[in-house]
Amino acid sequence: MAAIASKCMFQLQLRSIHTTLMTSTRVLSEFLRTAVRSSADTDARMWFDEALTLVESGRALDLCGIYTKARRLGRARVSLNAAEQGDFERLASGLQFDHWTLEDAGRAALLLASAAADPDGFVRAATDCYEQGDSAEQQSWLKSTALLPEPQQLLPIVIDACRTNILPLFEAVACENPFPARHFPERNFNQMVLKALFNNVALTRIAGLAGRHNADLTRMAADYASERRAAGRTVPSDIGLAMTETP
Amino acid sequence: MKIFDPHVHMTSRTTDDYEAMAAAGILAIVEPAFWLGQPRTFVGSFIDYFNSLLGWERFRASQFGIRHFCTIGLNPKEANNPKLADEVLALLPRYLDKDGVVAVGEIGFDDQTDAEEACFAKQIELARSHNLPILIHTPHRDKKRGTIRSIELVRSMKFPEERVLVDHNNEETLPIVLESSCWAGHTIYPNTKMDEDRMTALVKKHGSDRIIVNSAADWGISDPLKVPKTIGVMRQRGIDEDTIQKIVWDNPVAFFAQSGKLDVSGIDARPEIDRKQQYATNSVLRGER
Repeated sequence: MAAIASKCMFQLQLRSIHTTLMTSTRVLSEFLRTAVRSSADTDARMWFDEALTLVESGRALDLCGIYTKARRLGRARVSLNAAEQGDFERLASGLQFDHWTLEDAGRAALLLASAAADPDGFVRAATDCYEQGDSAEQQSWLKSTALLPEPQQLLPIVIDACRTNILPLFEAVACENPFPARHFPERNFNQMVLKALFNNVALTRIAGLAGRHNADLTRMAADYASERRAAGRTVPSDIGLAMTETP
Repeated sequence: MKIFDPHVHMTSRTTDDYEAMAAAGILAIVEPAFWLGQPRTFVGSFIDYFNSLLGWERFRASQFGIRHFCTIGLNPKEANNPKLADEVLALLPRYLDKDGVVAVGEIGFDDQTDAEEACFAKQIELARSHNLPILIHTPHRDKKRGTIRSIELVRSMKFPEERVLVDHNNEETLPIVLESSCWAGHTIYPNTKMDEDRMTALVKKHGSDRIIVNSAADWGISDPLKVPKTIGVMRQRGIDEDTIQKIVWDNPVAFFAQSGKLDVSGIDARPEIDRKQQYATNSVLRGER
């Protein structure tokens, strides 16, 4: 009953969000909090509320520590119905939320709260959370990049993360995430697409790929297909998605 | 058959690997400095890594009768961290002068960024000033273009091509390398890069001049016995012993001897194993004494 009530509140709140004139960051922040609160268990929810209050007040001395502790929110998927998913995709233009866990959503809310409390210190604080993060924290961080302020300052970290050999980390950047299509220079974007092909990551998962087609990417994909054939190997069936025109 | 594996990352391998390699006839190896699977964030991590390649790993190899040489360099992936790259480049001159450092490497391209090219060029200069050959890593992605760009950079800097080993070639890049005067390395991997059958076909087509094969065994799916396994396939397909010997011994020895730090005279004898030896009070015996 409580869960149903909370879910209804969530939907009401979401509707009211649309009618306000809050900035998009604030709207997103509210959305994430509500999503976490409506799904996490009582203890985790209490911890999360306290942590957010502390970060919002600007009195959090150890954001990285709090960012780590958000693991207690758990790795259950954030469950949204189709309407909520649609609302979120509109709010976050292109971000697909259905791959997010509660800890991902909670961590994104913490970073947004930190940005609101101390805009000048945000890039340093967020960078610390990434650099000191374990693989799960880094995945949360990378998934949330499209929601964060100062994208140009975060860009080098996201590009560098693409160089990883840890596939889930690469997927956190490349898949269901509009950040690369929005901010990556052409060369880095092309390398990411090639790396997806190389690792059998479906190109349909790259948000905004069609909008970033370019001649060099078409050539790189064609060269890769040629290299695979020369080696007697199969060519990924979706390679045409990387090409402006399929040769 | 004397075997030289000119590219193998033993830091990631076990003593079982060393035993199997020695039993398969591997007498000498080169361990190139590369990246460790996850980015380093402090220059001190490179100091410890380089020291390990020059010290502990060489000692460990010696305990299994294998001569261990290394190459030192800033790999292309980590060249993209500007602060770290500058600090590592500043360290290199000291390390390149050390005993057993037979080339500058692995250097080259990964994402083919401007930062990678700048570090690549600086290290070609270092190779010139330290009188060392260079080992070039060619990229996984956009490989053909990366190979062409690498050779073009070497050429534009007038670095002698016969002192350049371009590694990780495939069917499409090998002809490009052979058109130059560079040497052509091939990494025989279980799933990616090159395999034994394809390598044998390449030798039948292109011969053995300046052709080198290696295992590049590291922390990923790889096999430190790929050079002996490739020898097996080449024999089955009727490639003669002299040709095979040239590919798995004469060529890598001739290439790295250009460093002046690989003593050709004694290198084909199995070094004596003395497991009572210690390295900085540590031995490979783990208390078994």
